[in-house]
Amino acid sequence: MKFIHIADVHLGARPDAGPLYSKARPRELWDTFERVLQVCEDEQTDLLLIAGDLFHRQPLVRELKEADYLFSELTHTKVVLIAGNHDYIGKDSNYRTFSWGGNVYPLFGQRLQYADFPELQTAVYGLSYHTREISRPLYDTVSAPGLRRYEILLAHGGDEKHIPFDRRILEKSGFDYVALGHIHKPQVLQENQMIYSGALEPVDKNDTGKHGYVKGMITDHGVQTQWVPCASREYIHLQIPVSRNDTTGSLKKRVAEQISEYGNENIYKIVLDGKRDQNVSLDTERMAGDWNILEILDRTSPDYDFEKLRAENRDSILGRYIDRFRGCREGSVEYQALCEGVEALLSSRQ
Amino acid sequence: MVITELYIRNFGKLSEVHFYLRDGVQVIRGDNEFGKTTLHAFVRAMLFGMERGRGRAASRDAFSRYEPWDNPGGYAGVMRFTCGGRSFRLERNFARQTKHTSLICEDDGEELSVEHGDLEMLLGGMTGELFDNTVSIGQLKARPGQELSDALANYAANYYETGGGEYDLSAALKHLEEKRKSAQKELRAEVRASEERRQNLLQQCRYLEEDMKRLDQEYKDAVQNCAEDQTEEEVASRSVRKETSPGVYARGLVLAAAGLLAICAGLAALTAGRTGVLIVCLMAGVILATAGVRTAAADARKKNRGESEERKQVWELERIRSEQREKRIRYENLQEQYEESDRSERQLRLEEKCRALEKAASELEKAARVTGDGMERRVNRRASEIFAAVTAGRYCTLETGGQGEITVWDGIRKIPAGRLSRGTIEQIYFSIRMAASEILSEEPMPVILDDVFAFYDDKRLESVLKWLSRQEKQVIILSCHRREEEILQSIQGASRSGDRPDET
Repeated sequence: MKFIHIADVHLGARPDAGPLYSKARPRELWDTFERVLQVCEDEQTDLLLIAGDLFHRQPLVRELKEADYLFSELTHTKVVLIAGNHDYIGKDSNYRTFSWGGNVYPLFGQRLQYADFPELQTAVYGLSYHTREISRPLYDTVSAPGLRRYEILLAHGGDEKHIPFDRRILEKSGFDYVALGHIHKPQVLQENQMIYSGALEPVDKNDTGKHGYVKGMITDHGVQTQWVPCASREYIHLQIPVSRNDTTGSLKKRVAEQISEYGNENIYKIVLDGKRDQNVSLDTERMAGDWNILEILDRTSPDYDFEKLRAENRDSILGRYIDRFRGCREGSVEYQALCEGVEALLSSRQ
Repeated sequence: MVITELYIRNFGKLSEVHFYLRDGVQVIRGDNEFGKTTLHAFVRAMLFGMERGRGRAASRDAFSRYEPWDNPGGYAGVMRFTCGGRSFRLERNFARQTKHTSLICEDDGEELSVEHGDLEMLLGGMTGELFDNTVSIGQLKARPGQELSDALANYAANYYETGGGEYDLSAALKHLEEKRKSAQKELRAEVRASEERRQNLLQQCRYLEEDMKRLDQEYKDAVQNCAEDQTEEEVASRSVRKETSPGVYARGLVLAAAGLLAICAGLAALTAGRTGVLIVCLMAGVILATAGVRTAAADARKKNRGESEERKQVWELERIRSEQREKRIRYENLQEQYEESDRSERQLRLEEKCRALEKAASELEKAARVTGDGMERRVNRRASEIFAAVTAGRYCTLETGGQGEITVWDGIRKIPAGRLSRGTIEQIYFSIRMAASEILSEEPMPVILDDVFAFYDDKRLESVLKWLSRQEKQVIILSCHRREEEILQSIQGASRSGDRPDET
């Protein structure tokens, strides 16, 4: 039995994807989703498992129709889905009334339900969110009933407010495979058994790293899974160490080099760290150029030797000023204030 | 410290010239172009050295200004002075190639090291900047017409609070304030942009609300229409039923039956051979039958139409309902988005930056107060005494406020310094300098007054000179006028028989 496990597709989201790509980004989420369906079709995958949050918010009928049409194009694959915390089944949810095509098996109950596939010797279990948050550990009391030879659980959540679960209990619950959703970073909790496929496409600027889906096969010899990257873009946080020799120009060049190394199709956040020359001020706007950069965060501080300055200026205002900030942590607001004040004083020197 | 001799080999326009000086007040008089300011610069250069500047600014710095034209190698001089009961000989060569400094104690011939700070020790912590700000008073720095009072306020503020003239407190605070303002401006733009996004969401919500209201009305209208139609029909059908209980088609059928009956009667008449009756019967029969069939058909049509209308109305209601639901979901999604739209990271960072800059300014002020507090009170008190003496009691107190502005107290009113005459302002300036020099430097330094009395009237000049003569200090007055000399002579003559200052 061959399956593909996706989660957190977040159709309908409009994530910030930098100056170049934000506009077309909502469409890209659909495109990637379609690509996965194409893979299902090409490989004649038996089951497509969607572990929640197919939609970013309450789905509109036209969106459901769109998705259902895409599912209906599948000649072989059967689709099982649950609703997650984003597309939870509220009292007016279109999920309640929408009639899906014949190959779609929604598990929209609040309690555990299953879809039975005798021809595949498989049963797929799952439950759906009917509220935005569920803090009860619903999965801790779930176990595979042994209805079919292969039993799969679709589960969504894993943090405090979204069905927290104990992975050791879940591991022993008897399911051959637990398809997890909600955490956007791909993660294997238990090799070939409990896997967060991660979001199909990154939908937030903190969803860094690669994104994709899980492809698996269940046979009498057990479960074999493989994680397949397929997102069209990646959010990359670049740390650029700054030294005393750097200027806006040199950093601009480094940014350009790094971006062409990591790929221009990606979405960048750049963090400048380290000590810059005290006489250099960094112009992050100029550094950004025409690259697809969400933002450049300047966390550098001037390379003052505060101890030396303090010792040399014990009796003047400079020494006394530095004194007032003794013991403050680098990177704190106080430290920033210290740097600003020292800079102001030094530049005021006649 | 008392300077006893200045020997200038080559310095600006002066060359190979000796000045012999003594303790107490003395005047070096010279016409314009005599070289008084050059002499003043020479003293400073001897005490604190003179480095050649770098870059473009070098062409206008003191080194270049006083570099001799003809004999650059002789860009040098000697200063002899006494300090702490011992005499010293300080020799400096400023020239680029032959740069050299030596300091010898003449009492025991010990060679001291300027590089290792021996001279600084003798000067008792006096720095070049401090010198410029206290005992060395050049020809007025703030040009007439400039905001003199501002300069004064700044000067006093810095003087007390930074513990020396090296840092400019108000410039530093201004720098911080400007930075804060620009960060604030950026922050405001960011807030505005995000507010705009939020407003946009709200606007969309409002449109949807209107749409929903409209649909609601549409729905109500449709329901009402439906109800009206139904009741009308019901009434109609009920009345029909009353008239002809058998049903809708009954009327027609009765007519048709009557028609057929008439035709039959006609046919019967035919067999009876009555042609007249036959024709009448046939015609009546045909007419009645057609009318009957027609009525029946019309009734049937009417009923059909009613049914399809009803179905359409149900569809319409359903359409409105589903459209409404779709709008409500979109509305709720937007509401959700609105609630999620929080402060952006950039906004948070800018807020942090503003906080840091505010903190920097407030800490700087606190540090300044600590530095200045004690000293300020002392300087204020002493400056008031000096100012009272100089103005012969016209003003009794001089005060510098928190913002560095200066006010004077004439016993009746508090007057801001900015409103005083130029001469009086200079006397305030003088008083603060003298008070500060007493309090700041351990070693009493020679006071050098380079043409500073130009705006003083004779009475005030006399008061100043009287006051200066009472101080145990060396005072060197450089002037192009005779009146300082004359007044001084009359003062000194009154107290003791003073001799003319030595001068070559």
